[in-house]
Amino acid sequence: MDSATFASVGAGLVTIGAGIGIGKLAAAALESMARQPEIAGQIRLAMIIAAGLIEGVAFFCAVICFKALGG
Amino acid sequence: MLGTQTSTFSIDEYIQNHLANAQEWHLPFLPPIQLPSFLSLHALMVIFCAIFLIVLFCFLYRKKDRVPRGITNLLESFILFIRDEIAIECLGKEEGRKMTPFLATMFFFILGLNLMGLIPIFSTATANINVTAALALITFCVYIFGSLLKGGLPHFKKVIIPEGVPWWILVILIPLEILTLFIRAFALMIRLVANMLAGHIVILVVLGFVVILGYIVTLPAIFMALFISLLEVFVAFLQAYVFTLLSAIFISLTFNPEH
Repeated sequence: MDSATFASVGAGLVTIGAGIGIGKLAAAALESMARQPEIAGQIRLAMIIAAGLIEGVAFFCAVICFKALGG
Repeated sequence: MLGTQTSTFSIDEYIQNHLANAQEWHLPFLPPIQLPSFLSLHALMVIFCAIFLIVLFCFLYRKKDRVPRGITNLLESFILFIRDEIAIECLGKEEGRKMTPFLATMFFFILGLNLMGLIPIFSTATANINVTAALALITFCVYIFGSLLKGGLPHFKKVIIPEGVPWWILVILIPLEILTLFIRAFALMIRLVANMLAGHIVILVVLGFVVILGYIVTLPAIFMALFISLLEVFVAFLQAYVFTLLSAIFISLTFNPEH
């Protein structure tokens, strides 16, 4: 039970969080694009921005797991 | 991570040699070029990107054409996108126009550094946390000192102390507000470096499979590395755009704290 084990488990949890978040985002975006195809461009833009921000949070913890893996 | 093989191939060392900063520049089919002590590989990449942008915008971009064509057209479409969709959206008309040079510089610089990482001769400078820390620090200084220069300390007080809040919440809120000023810049730095580092590590691990699992996996590994490289091109543009957009948003949060 050294830090490498915990770091790997932590990285998996981070992936679950990011996957759920971006999955919900994509579902909402696709549904609204289907309801109103005229503004699909704006929705696509907002989706990309939100995905970038959610991934940013996920990467925070990925970096911490990386550090725990080495030390 | 994946251990050493009988052919003494270490995946850690392979990744380290390709992504970390070094004093030598390895060109294909040539002996490695020793860099002088005041330069390192990523610093050289930053200088190359700066020179390339200067050549691109000062000499290749012809301002005197009435109708833009060719590379002028391409660059203008990017700059108009930055001015209209990013700067004026977040900051309003006149301040948006004033901040557009800064935001356009950040966008093209980060985009250039990200794309240079995908060309085999160069290496990714934005995968180095020091480079992205410098970029985030520049944005931090712009939104802190810009708002101080704009209205002085009374204006900055409005950033930290929101209006109409009872005093007993202010005790917790003021340190939190000051902390978020730093956390925003920190998030910018980590987002960019982690995206660039992760993409390149995945490509290098997939290519390392060729040695670790045997030469039978060469063709699928090469194809997978190719597709991940294509995804990396998209991520390069996206991360440059997200950095610029978030810089504009953070600048608008400290320049116009009322909304």
